[in-house]
Amino acid sequence: MNIYPTPVFLRRFSQGLFLCIFIVLFLHTDYQGQDEISGAVNLLFRVDPLIALASSLATRTVITLVLPAIFLLLSCLILGRWFCGWACPMGTLLDYVRPLLGKKPATIPAELPKLRYMLLLIILVGALFGLPLVGFFDPFAILVRGLSMALYPAFSMAIEKFFTLTYNHGPAWLNMLTEPAYQFLRATVLPFEQKIFTLALPAALMLGTLFLLEIFQRRFFCRYVCPLGALLALAARMAPWKISNRQPACTVCGKCNVLCRTGAIDKQGQVNSERCILCLDCLTGCPQHQFVFSRQHERAVLLAEGLSRRAFMGTTVSAIALPFLFAVRPLKRYPEPSLIRPPGALPEEEFLGRCVRCGECMQVCIGNALHPTFMEAGAEGIFTPRLIPRIGYCEYQCTLCGQVCPTGALKQLPPIKKQTVVIGLASIDRNRCLPYAKGVPCIVCEEHCPTPEKAIRLREVSILNEMGQVVRVKQPYVVDKLCIGCGICENKCPLPGHSAIVVTSAGETRHKRATDSNGYT
Amino acid sequence: MERRRFLHDVTYWSLSCFLLLHWPFPTLTTSAQAQTPQSGMALSKVGIGKDKDYRKLVRQVIALIGGMGAFVKPGARVVIKPNMSFDRPPEMGATTHPLVVRTLAEMALEAGASQVRIFDRTCNEARRCYHNSGILPAIQGMDNRKVRCDYIDRRKFVTVPIPEGRVLKGWDIYRDALEADCYINVPVAKQHGLAGLSLSLKNNMGILGGNRGQLHRKLDQNLADLATIIRPTLNVVDATRMLLRNGPQGGSLRDVQTNDTILASSDPVAVDACATMLFGRSPDEIGATVAAADMGLGIMRLNRINRIERP
Repeated sequence: MNIYPTPVFLRRFSQGLFLCIFIVLFLHTDYQGQDEISGAVNLLFRVDPLIALASSLATRTVITLVLPAIFLLLSCLILGRWFCGWACPMGTLLDYVRPLLGKKPATIPAELPKLRYMLLLIILVGALFGLPLVGFFDPFAILVRGLSMALYPAFSMAIEKFFTLTYNHGPAWLNMLTEPAYQFLRATVLPFEQKIFTLALPAALMLGTLFLLEIFQRRFFCRYVCPLGALLALAARMAPWKISNRQPACTVCGKCNVLCRTGAIDKQGQVNSERCILCLDCLTGCPQHQFVFSRQHERAVLLAEGLSRRAFMGTTVSAIALPFLFAVRPLKRYPEPSLIRPPGALPEEEFLGRCVRCGECMQVCIGNALHPTFMEAGAEGIFTPRLIPRIGYCEYQCTLCGQVCPTGALKQLPPIKKQTVVIGLASIDRNRCLPYAKGVPCIVCEEHCPTPEKAIRLREVSILNEMGQVVRVKQPYVVDKLCIGCGICENKCPLPGHSAIVVTSAGETRHKRATDSNGYT
Repeated sequence: MERRRFLHDVTYWSLSCFLLLHWPFPTLTTSAQAQTPQSGMALSKVGIGKDKDYRKLVRQVIALIGGMGAFVKPGARVVIKPNMSFDRPPEMGATTHPLVVRTLAEMALEAGASQVRIFDRTCNEARRCYHNSGILPAIQGMDNRKVRCDYIDRRKFVTVPIPEGRVLKGWDIYRDALEADCYINVPVAKQHGLAGLSLSLKNNMGILGGNRGQLHRKLDQNLADLATIIRPTLNVVDATRMLLRNGPQGGSLRDVQTNDTILASSDPVAVDACATMLFGRSPDEIGATVAAADMGLGIMRLNRINRIERP
């Protein structure tokens, strides 16, 4: 009996540990009773070299927030793709669902492994020329988005439904058991408020697709699609530490070829370090223990699988051309007025370049006000955050979204500063607003307006109501100079359906074109 | 499985589950109206005091109207309903002062309360309001298992008919508030755009569910109608700081006047009338006070209120 843990056990332990850290950080991405959020909840994105590279290229600056990514890249330059096999929560989850899906051997086109390099190239070149794509392919973005926008809210919904059922219809003795359990869940894993998201289904679908691809091959996503894996693979090419086959005694039995989860071992038992994620299955799986993880002095047989010169040039040229195709749509010049960005958002172009569409701002948003954008910012803007006041408003003193943004697409603002950032402007629809349209008293928007000097004020007038009687009512009006566009007025407007006071992105401070006092730009 | 067996099993299991879930067949006896209505003719007592030390002040004012023992019976389940609607620190005068709430909780415990629950359905995000109003930290600081600051639980709203309501015929009301043996209403005195002033009657809105904005259509009468159902055992109006303008949220110290005053009474109308005077206004100007007095829910005429002021 071997008392030392096997290499595979160590790897599994590490995967479990990192997954736990990830889940704890994920649940921790919430208001914790203080204005400052504790714990680096966006740590995962800060160590992601792909995001670091893409967002730095997009803004042509070195983003200090993502500097920790250098350490990951350096470690892969020495050890190879250890991160993919030992730490990546996406990879771990893929490994976990694999046994649930059964085996369906499929023939995969031989050219497919090049896809990830093409994607990587398109993402990086596209970022440089103004087409932000990293958020759609980065594994963490897909994972965190799917969890925060769809799976976690659905999970919480299911639990809430169950305990609502027992609370409303269960007998007293049952509630003696279920209520403490519910309170415990509330204190640990459930969100404080049930959240809803506009793009819950697309986010879930994207994540689900990655899992379903496991049907075709193990780690399908990691092998053929993952651009982060591709970047780390480029680093792994140069890594001196790698797994290799001690040639002479190998009987070429082919077991390792079937065993390898990323298809890194060919029929002759040669290891391709670009694909190898150091899962160490081959170390224990080889009947003759042919495989070793060691420092290679002489260059092993290179099984490099980069793009051909033709493919490289073609991809680059497409990635340069595409952004211009995207730039000639009207929304680039006349932005959608209902597209209200969170406070601290950079100017649109820069914002799109930096935003990784991870959904952390939406998860942490205390009022469920931030939602994934659909086509309002163009196809490349899908999943970026926008404020939908009718669903939730921006809490006046809260600065959480800026604190969790991993790339600084939303600036971290101190509360005093945030309260002066204008994200939009409210305007009253007099055809619907009760004191105007019906002569009925209502001051709910004024009551909730959070600026110390209220941006919504009341003036008392005598008007005719629906019966033709003269009544005295207070009519609200907006003081443009004071309105910051938080949207609480639109949110709390008691009219059913559309609100009688609507916020648009007019006058937002992130763009230099300031509106003058008469409302003209 | 054969059909007969299937039907037999289904009947058997559903019947047993049904019986199991409904055991022990409770009879609905809890009444929504816990307190006896006050007679319109009697003199209402209102205690008023002024002091810099809020702990001492609360104790003195409650003593003026008979002490906490008159309201909290031993073993009683007490609910304290402060105003913590908005995400504002105590000095802004938008929320009840944490020391007032804490002292009341301590006094309820001293009077023998078996449990004290503190909650409010906030306008801003609940956790921010609970924390930043200072009330949650103050209550946690008591470190007593009988006292708890609870967040609102959506499931606990029950639709309550309001038979005596002139406009409002029913609304969702928080169950814990209705079922309490002693309900202590602790509003903060502040200006409000529509109600004129937000006092005891307006504070009742903090235990309502649903779209509360719709109540503003006939706010004054709605508040009076609600007061037929929500009958606090004790009303303590916190006028230690008074928000004079830009209410009910405020946000600027310029709008806040420090007054160091507390008023208490079992009659919400009388205490509101006296609190209105502190703003230099007449009770007749506050629609809700007038509407409630008109329905016989309390006394509004100042000459029929027994004002007991601390010497």
